[in-house]
Amino acid sequence: MTEASAIAGPRMSRPRDCLATGVCAGLAAHLGWPPVVVRLAFAVTALLGGAGVLLYLWLWALTPWEPGEARPSRRAPVAWLLVAASALVLGFAWMLGAQALGTGNATVQWWFGAVLAGVALAVGAGAWASFIDRPEPERGPRHELTIRLVATGLLAVTALALVLGDAASRHTVASFTAALAAIVGIALVYAPTLVTAWRDLTEERTKRIREEQRSEIAAHLHDSVLQTLALIQNRAGATSEVARIARAQERELRDWLFDGEAPADRDLGTELRAFAADLEIEYAVTIDVVAVGTSSERASGEVAAAAREAMLNAARHAGGEVSVYLEASPELVEVFVRDRGPGFDPAEVPGDRLGVRQSIIGRMRRAGGSAEVRRGVGGVGTEVRLRFPAERAATVERATGDMNRG
Amino acid sequence: MAEASARPTHDGAVRVVIVDDHSIFRSGLKADLDASIEVVGEAHDVESAVQAVTDAAPDVVLLDVHLPGVGVPAGTSGGAEVIRRAAAALRQAQDGAVPATRFLALSVSDRAEDVVGVIRAGARGYITKGSSGADVSRAVHAVASGDAVFSPKLAGFVLDAFGAAGGETAAASDELDRLSAREQEVMRLIARGYAYKEVAAELFISTKTVETHVSAVLRKLQLSSRHELTAWANARRLL
Repeated sequence: MTEASAIAGPRMSRPRDCLATGVCAGLAAHLGWPPVVVRLAFAVTALLGGAGVLLYLWLWALTPWEPGEARPSRRAPVAWLLVAASALVLGFAWMLGAQALGTGNATVQWWFGAVLAGVALAVGAGAWASFIDRPEPERGPRHELTIRLVATGLLAVTALALVLGDAASRHTVASFTAALAAIVGIALVYAPTLVTAWRDLTEERTKRIREEQRSEIAAHLHDSVLQTLALIQNRAGATSEVARIARAQERELRDWLFDGEAPADRDLGTELRAFAADLEIEYAVTIDVVAVGTSSERASGEVAAAAREAMLNAARHAGGEVSVYLEASPELVEVFVRDRGPGFDPAEVPGDRLGVRQSIIGRMRRAGGSAEVRRGVGGVGTEVRLRFPAERAATVERATGDMNRG
Repeated sequence: MAEASARPTHDGAVRVVIVDDHSIFRSGLKADLDASIEVVGEAHDVESAVQAVTDAAPDVVLLDVHLPGVGVPAGTSGGAEVIRRAAAALRQAQDGAVPATRFLALSVSDRAEDVVGVIRAGARGYITKGSSGADVSRAVHAVASGDAVFSPKLAGFVLDAFGAAGGETAAASDELDRLSAREQEVMRLIARGYAYKEVAAELFISTKTVETHVSAVLRKLQLSSRHELTAWANARRLL
């Protein structure tokens, strides 16, 4: 950062292994002072109208953790200290009330303030346990529960003492307000859990509603849009442009409705189906892809490349209806691409036409499989047949994997 | 095959009932079917379909898989329910004789899961709604004369479901849970886009023999208790 370079020394940060928040240690390291001095300075300035407290909170909020992966861990049991402080303040208030409740309004104000401070400290202890201690592995949910129970006990006793004690008769409004504050305090101690539970509940409900809506939409679209798209294909003739667009739309809609998101790593069947969909948009062709068995062959493999080439040839030169059949067994992957076009004799293809010779036959041979181009049954169209032994595919894959690792 | 003998048709035309909940689709299909097919009834839901089929006793029912209707048990498609109810009603009307009416499923999707339920309920084949009028007409004639209509997709599904890719082959011809080597060959060729005639030429057998094999496979598809078939259907609650 350009501004940072103007300042001498590193940016201030809080150490991840700290006492309570790491503010003092961080500031000490930044200024080059011993941490004790910084802590003392904060304590002293805290007495000057709370300036130290404000500065401390401000630094706590704005100073980042020092860079690193470790979860911050705190040596001081801050939640317990807060509980203890709360108990002390409430005890002090009780003494104050017992001693001097007859004397005058000034004492009552002090007493009232002390009770509120005690309640606030107890709530703070609960909040600290819920938000800051809970993620720490050595403290966790059990610790949170203990703190909560202790804080609850403290606040409940306070509320009871306020309602049943002497103060209730003499300063009714003040003591009942304070008791109410204690009860609200109990609610606040448990608020994080309640909020989380409520959020989970709403989320679940939203999810369910969304799911219901989705299936409703799916049913509706199935009945209306998909039917209409089928009708369009039917009426417009299978290879007309309108029909091809309708078919592509139908496929997209169906994928969205029923299949959700496609997996990132496609297998051969999925890949050929997607490629067929692309070809159908570009050429006057309908391609039926039938896949049998589960293929370990990946979309990036040589078989896929050769099959794509064969499909492209069929779409470009034959058009009409093209059938693609893929059968994968543990030993063998076979792909058949069959069209009903004018057909051609591979022997008559001139040597400079690289398409079939290089991209299909040559490619398969180099990869360790075989390819065969032949005239369709009864002299109609062409059929390309690719064979690829699957163990070979597995070993090739392993070899490339080793290479990548090494 | 005894059951393959075609029922004599009136005026030489195949009598057909079209069942689909979309009137546009029904009228479109009606206009597209060729002259040798006579539409003798139409229906738009399960109840009207059972009624129309019982009244007309057609040769072939063109049946939408996804059909609305009251009282369709949960987990059944409307199409499968029509086949069950109509077959029972026809049998009753004809004093227990096996009805000659055959069902050809029409599905908007070519997902095997959508289709296996109606096939197992008794349909003699299925075609997608995107098929041309000529294709549908051809399929109607095939079904009317007792043949099964297998699309490449259905053939692929059958090969998958019967474990053909894993090398499973029936040892005996009456085994229901696996396909014989010959049936596998026929299914593979159909999956590769071969018409029955082309399958016959490729395997040096008669078209009739191909049809026999296909009918045998259809029977296995309907009767087999193979885990894949029941599991598929159960998972999608089609049976």
